Amino acid sequence: MYGKDILRISRRALLATTGAALAAGPLATALHVPKAFAQPKTLRIAAGEADGATGTLDPALSTADPDAARINLVFERLVVLDDTFSAAPQLATSWESNATGDEWTFKLQEGVKFHDGEPFSAKHVVYTFKRLLDPKTASPGASSMAAIDPAAITAVDDLTVRFKLKAATVEFPALIANRFTYILREGQPESELRTSGIGTGPFKVQKFVPGDDVSTYVKNESYWRAGLPKVDVVELRAIPEESARIAAIQSGQIDLCWDLGRAGVEELQKNPDVKVVTTRAPFVLTLSCWADTPPFDDVRVRQAMKYVVDREQMLQLVLRGLGNIGDDNPVAPWVQYALKTEPRARDVEKAKALLAEAGHPDGIDVELFTSETTPGFIEMATLYQAMASEAGIRVKLTKAPSSDYWSAVWLKQPFVCSSWSGRGADDALAAPYLSTSDWNETHWKRPEFDAFITEARATTDVAKRTELYQKAQQLLRDDGGAIISVFPDALGAVRANVSGWKLHPQQSTKDFSEVSIG
Amino acid sequence: MSKMVLTRLGMALISLLAVSAIIFWCVEFLPGDAAERILGRNATPESLALLREKLHLNLSAGERYLHWLTSLLSGDFGTSLVADRPVLDYIASRIANTALLSGFALILYIPISIGFGILTAIYRGRFTDHAISVIVLIFMCLPEFVIGILLISIFAIKLAWLPPLALIGSAQSFGQLVELMALPTITIVAAMSAYAVRMMRESLIEVLDSSYVLMARLKGLPKWRVLLFHALPNALGPAINITALNVAWMIGGVVVVEAVFEFPGIGRLMVDSISHKDVPVILAISIVMTGAYIVTNLVADLLVILLNPKLR
Repeated sequence: MYGKDILRISRRALLATTGAALAAGPLATALHVPKAFAQPKTLRIAAGEADGATGTLDPALSTADPDAARINLVFERLVVLDDTFSAAPQLATSWESNATGDEWTFKLQEGVKFHDGEPFSAKHVVYTFKRLLDPKTASPGASSMAAIDPAAITAVDDLTVRFKLKAATVEFPALIANRFTYILREGQPESELRTSGIGTGPFKVQKFVPGDDVSTYVKNESYWRAGLPKVDVVELRAIPEESARIAAIQSGQIDLCWDLGRAGVEELQKNPDVKVVTTRAPFVLTLSCWADTPPFDDVRVRQAMKYVVDREQMLQLVLRGLGNIGDDNPVAPWVQYALKTEPRARDVEKAKALLAEAGHPDGIDVELFTSETTPGFIEMATLYQAMASEAGIRVKLTKAPSSDYWSAVWLKQPFVCSSWSGRGADDALAAPYLSTSDWNETHWKRPEFDAFITEARATTDVAKRTELYQKAQQLLRDDGGAIISVFPDALGAVRANVSGWKLHPQQSTKDFSEVSIG
Repeated sequence: MSKMVLTRLGMALISLLAVSAIIFWCVEFLPGDAAERILGRNATPESLALLREKLHLNLSAGERYLHWLTSLLSGDFGTSLVADRPVLDYIASRIANTALLSGFALILYIPISIGFGILTAIYRGRFTDHAISVIVLIFMCLPEFVIGILLISIFAIKLAWLPPLALIGSAQSFGQLVELMALPTITIVAAMSAYAVRMMRESLIEVLDSSYVLMARLKGLPKWRVLLFHALPNALGPAINITALNVAWMIGGVVVVEAVFEFPGIGRLMVDSISHKDVPVILAISIVMTGAYIVTNLVADLLVILLNPKLR
């Protein structure tokens, strides 16, 4: 009935809309600030862990993965780790210890400058470590470096630093190659460290505001390693949703990302515009039970729980083959000091027999906590439930929220999924399994184990030290409360025009200085 | 009418106070505190104690609420516990982003809902009506994130016309900004228009069937005049109320849409702040959201009154 009149109405509506759009134009442009540079090469990278309000640039307080990326852009350490977790030089050129391994002297790189022009020297190293170990700083890294005596860190001369240790530590250089020991500039006010730290690294902070969605870094023109970095600007953001991260790299909204899941990698392998980057990593996925709590307090029960695992199947179904098999030992077989064992084969009959021997002829009922907090937890727990049921281990799965899994479930429940980022042998053994560790997730306390580690740390002879570390691993493998069936590879991706990037098996090490575009 | 506005504003203040108290105590009941959430896995008893002292978390809940309220009265929203920056500055950029998204959505939403509403009403029972009604019903039934993911997979991945994520921090020009905002805007409009179109159709049909429209036609007025000046203003009432609710919903944060498109809006900030137990930020956002509901509804009521001489 009104058919013909419609045209007029929609024309009016159209005009009204375009008017509104034009009016909104200036308002909208005023809201975003970034200016165009003269053709800078911008590398856009996306971390997989949420960033947000907790973000920090302060190495002593960094805990999240985007923090690690940020810190690696701006700062450098004395020592870094190579692919097998042996120490390699960065700001230190060489080091030596006294015969007993409790006094270490580091020679520093000459000609390095901080971003503000201040020459890098020993006093900055002394300042950094003293601050890190100061209880007022409350660094989560302080406890792992308790061997250092903060009062006895001295600048011998401008380019020589000496550490006196409270206890002999033969692996001291590797011990300080962690995520907390990046060298700060002495004299920078404490209040600036969270958002605008001055380092010696390849990039300078341009804009980082915790809680904003993107932070930017610009090339350090006077970087000490010639020819680096190879891009002018780095934009860092976090895209926690994996499917969103994949869509972003497929469409070219970002150039580089990591923390990809197995399914995502398969999707990206089909795309010619994207290159998948993988690295063999000793990242530990574990099912951890309290060795002092029934029914796990009987070693036969713990062994039965290990015998039910079909490790090859775990690798294929949980990781789609992108990883390596573990043998209930947190030190992966290719890492320095590793004990190489034939992975325990699945043996349901043996598991049943062990359970019966331990007084559980009808099997046991256990509750396993899992969560989406680490990729693979859900799959690992579900598959374990199926494998264990055949031996009469009835697993009740409880899926906990990922937001507070590490504060509300981990270390609070007797049987949980847990994960540890890749680390060297000593750290991988000590952090979760020493009796005195704050993070003893299996409540497994063996003085012999502690003694092996302490003795190894003080043994200068490599063969003897290796033997001690291996004895500790053997004990843990046979008696401990951790079921470690797989080590997932680290997975990342770059756009096809990006080169020079490698994922480091130590997750917190992220070197972007050699990445180039085009 | 000014008396009504004043009463409503008075009520609004009371509502805001009540909301802040309720939210504060609800957050109190959540397990853990900001210090635990910040330190996460690496917390040690000593570092927790130090941080709690720094953030004044060792004061009692009552003291903290009173302190927050008194500083609010002097215009200070406090400092974010986690991000360590002034709350106002922190949420302002997110509110600006959300306002931008809402603005883009409204620009599309108003002509679409009114236009489709008119079309379905005047072609009622015919093909156009059925086709539009079915499409609108489908969008009404689909959750926003499904629409969002569908749009991403079609327009960003398959056809590669538009960027999948609204990473607006990287926009260099207004054109780029429009491109980045296109998919989330369309998603919101699709999810939001459905109710308004249906509401518009129903009320317009009712008005078109009324005797005064018949009277107007019999007077010999042109059809478009009858439709635009006689029928439409009387049919807009319900649609305006729906629009007010929709605008408040958008300002309150379309969390799901923000999450799908990685859009840095107020909704995700709220969710993140809750998971960090960042109380000052949570309270400030609640107040902004509540305020938005109150104001948009007030504006809607005023508009309805203006359109209807009987209520003036």
